[in-house]
Amino acid sequence: MDPRFRGGDERKEARRGFGLTIIAGIALLLLAVAARAETLTAGDVLRGRFVQERHMQGFAKPIRSEGSFVVAPGRGLIWRAETPFAVTTVVTPAGLVQSVNGAETTRLAAARLPFLTRLYDMMAGALAGDWRALEGGFAVTRTGDRVALAPRKADDATAAQIAGITVRLGRFVEQVEITKPNGDMDRLTFTDQVLNAAPLDAAETAMLK
Amino acid sequence: MRRSLALLWLLLVLAAGLHVAMIAAGGLPLQTDIMALLPREERDPVVQTAKDRMTQALAGRAVVLVGHADRAVARAQAVALRQHLVTAGLVRPETDIPTAEAVRRLGAAYFPHRAGLLAEADRQRLEQGQGEALVTRALSQIFGFAGMADSRLLARDPFLLFPAFLGSLPVPANRLVMDDGMPSVVDDGTTWVLVSLILAGEPYALDFQRRFVAGFEAAQAEAPPGLKTLRLGALFFAHAGADQAMGESSRIGAVSLLGTVMLVLLAFRSGGPLLLSVAAIATGLVTALSVCLALFGSVHVAAQLFGASLIGIAVDYALLYFGQIFTPRTKPAERLAQVLPGITLGMLTTVIGYATLGLSPFPGLKQVAVFSGVGLVGSFLTVVLWFPLLDRAPARRLPRGAEWASAWLWRVWGEARFGRVRRLALVALVLLAAAGLGQIRADDDVRRQQGLSPPLVAEQMEIQRLAGFGQTSQFFVVQGDSEQQVLEREEQLGERLAGLAGWQSAARFVPSAKRQAVNALLVRDALVAPHLAAYRARLGMAEPVADAPPNQPLSLAGIRATGALPFLDSLVLSDTLHVVTLDGLSDLTAVRTSTEGLDGVRLIDPTGDVSLLLRAYRHRAMALLAVSTLLMVPLLAWRYGWRGAVMVMAPAAAAVVLTPPLLALAGLGFSFFGAMALVLVLSIGTDYAVFCAEDRQRDPVTLVSVGLAMSTTLLSFGLLALSEVAAVRAFGATMLVGVVLAFVLAPSASRMRG
Repeated sequence: MDPRFRGGDERKEARRGFGLTIIAGIALLLLAVAARAETLTAGDVLRGRFVQERHMQGFAKPIRSEGSFVVAPGRGLIWRAETPFAVTTVVTPAGLVQSVNGAETTRLAAARLPFLTRLYDMMAGALAGDWRALEGGFAVTRTGDRVALAPRKADDATAAQIAGITVRLGRFVEQVEITKPNGDMDRLTFTDQVLNAAPLDAAETAMLK
Repeated sequence: MRRSLALLWLLLVLAAGLHVAMIAAGGLPLQTDIMALLPREERDPVVQTAKDRMTQALAGRAVVLVGHADRAVARAQAVALRQHLVTAGLVRPETDIPTAEAVRRLGAAYFPHRAGLLAEADRQRLEQGQGEALVTRALSQIFGFAGMADSRLLARDPFLLFPAFLGSLPVPANRLVMDDGMPSVVDDGTTWVLVSLILAGEPYALDFQRRFVAGFEAAQAEAPPGLKTLRLGALFFAHAGADQAMGESSRIGAVSLLGTVMLVLLAFRSGGPLLLSVAAIATGLVTALSVCLALFGSVHVAAQLFGASLIGIAVDYALLYFGQIFTPRTKPAERLAQVLPGITLGMLTTVIGYATLGLSPFPGLKQVAVFSGVGLVGSFLTVVLWFPLLDRAPARRLPRGAEWASAWLWRVWGEARFGRVRRLALVALVLLAAAGLGQIRADDDVRRQQGLSPPLVAEQMEIQRLAGFGQTSQFFVVQGDSEQQVLEREEQLGERLAGLAGWQSAARFVPSAKRQAVNALLVRDALVAPHLAAYRARLGMAEPVADAPPNQPLSLAGIRATGALPFLDSLVLSDTLHVVTLDGLSDLTAVRTSTEGLDGVRLIDPTGDVSLLLRAYRHRAMALLAVSTLLMVPLLAWRYGWRGAVMVMAPAAAAVVLTPPLLALAGLGFSFFGAMALVLVLSIGTDYAVFCAEDRQRDPVTLVSVGLAMSTTLLSFGLLALSEVAAVRAFGATMLVGVVLAFVLAPSASRMRG
């Protein structure tokens, strides 16, 4: 690769990296809720635990984190990593906020994220059982309990971020693997998922405001 | 003798006409730059260049937001609108929205220099020894749900400082995002797509404005239902302003012209007086224009407009002359003899009044003085030399109503039994004015003087809200001996501006070489040295890739060459002269104070400058008013004695003093335009008083003539009080009140000689 352009690729990734991970995250959420026979509706609250593994080149072992998540359709997602590093990520239509010990470390307004708002549209579509919104960006193939997503256009922003997504379905989504063009891979495994076991508490409501 | 003088005058007028016609054939050299009215010594070429470039950069563009509930429709319509305007030759085909390729080039240019690039917030943290906070941020992005966790980036930028730098770049319109190649924003269910247009013509040329707006509206007409558009651009404002001004002036102008013609025709029941009055004004205008062109080489459009209205006073002399047809005097020479002292004295006092304008250092007012002085003398000569030769009007009977009203006004001022009424009326007037005195407020804000179209202002604010444009008209000019010095000065300026306003400077995109070196050391000493080892151990991270550092620091030229930041070009006027634009400015005074004393840094406030100019002009006009009043007194004293001079000056002086507080009662502010109207009120009022003072018989004909003069003045100036444009309205309202007051008070001047 021409070294002059390598920086360009890095930069592009730098700019779109946030968007990328959100795409991946929201895509999985979307699957998480759409995988059920009956779709989630506004007011539902899905809770569960996750293990996130980031397989990255140049790292001795995958970067692993564990924690809990809450999804409230139409309102957003609270993703609490507990070990080994406690960081809470809140994604709402307004944007993304990360905080460590209650102190904000990163804030990204949705307006600065090219894809976030569109992805909310896609999510809304998928919640209503409409996969076409998602199929606009990805080719979706289902085989048994597995769903594979591949970017439709080889040269667009999505393809620059994601090489492919595979999803394993149970009653809800059980595992998601997101492969990036550079060979990095994120694997998310979900357990203990319960629907509407408890409504949002006050702190959660405040975070999703 | 009289015939040869008239002939000589005819030759002079013809010569002046030929002179003007010859110059006009090549286009009249009209100046329109309001700054050309400023005294020369106050115009700094650097400031002027910067202002011109900023105006050009802003006025030569237009921004349209195309919105629709359906994203695809909004996008298609944005493309269609641009296409339509490009095809019509109204906008240039190139766009200032960077291509994806240019953005990639920008990344390629920045990335090798990342060691010296820091977001301002990160730099401050490192300076304060808070490297830990940046470690926590990096960890939260790696462990958190979303983040910059990309192995290739982490290997070269383990603390993810580079994305933070990119995220901190002060790109304009920061609410817009690139959605598949188009800058867009979604707001309340509507997708708005930005169409940025570079105009193919002169935004202030009326013809281009008309064609552009017609083209724009034609494109709009083809739009599907539900499509919304928001417009922003000097052209739209200028077009709306011109449209309004033309509509208004054609309406007011038509009423005024028709009214004046009807009045003169009805009063004299013949066409002769009308034609001769027009001739008097026309000859004044032609000679004035000719002399001004010969003296100044060009005529400022403001001087011409204002001077022309001053010359309009000359119609009063014609009316006074033709008032004589209501007397038994049928010979033109007798008619002239009767009014000659009055109009001569009136002309002289008015010329004195105008001449004082020429004492000011303002080139604009000098032109006004010469233009109106010469024009007035020209019109006067036409009345005196041509009227007796051309006047064929037969004697007529004064209409009974007019005669009765005039006689009554004379009696009110002349007879002892009305003494009480006079005193009561004067006291009431003074009390009213006293009440208004406290409410007078100076109004020099140029933004209020222009009649900006309210719907366009609303659209502009909506665009600013949606797109995040917040650029204010104020900006800084930063000068230095070298590009590096300019960048360093911008960094010093930035430290002062932090917390007061947002700003865009070249140095925020390309730090000075010094700053880049300091940043690299700061990262090494405050972040890498104390934290990298533990950070890598925690993550199990391989040794970062050690790219060889570039030989040269990042250069402004290199970043500009990528073409990804077109607006950077408007910030860089030359290597040693940059502009720093501001946005989100809430307190200009605080910005001014905190940036004082910085070498090579100057705050420029174009609208503020115009407002200051208007204030200076207003003060000047007031001072001149006082001076010209004083200068008229000796002339009047020569004719009427000192006491008489005071009596003759009193009505006009009272009108000048009473008008501003009376208008303040009606809520009108006092601006330069009002002050200029007062100059006219003084001259006109003195004329009225002189005409009355010259009449020893209290002949109703005199007051009828003066009344006619007042009516034409009200028709031509007073009607301007109906204007939507604040400046014009202030002028008209001042004329309306001032001239009526001067007329009502004028007969008092005759008392001493009665």
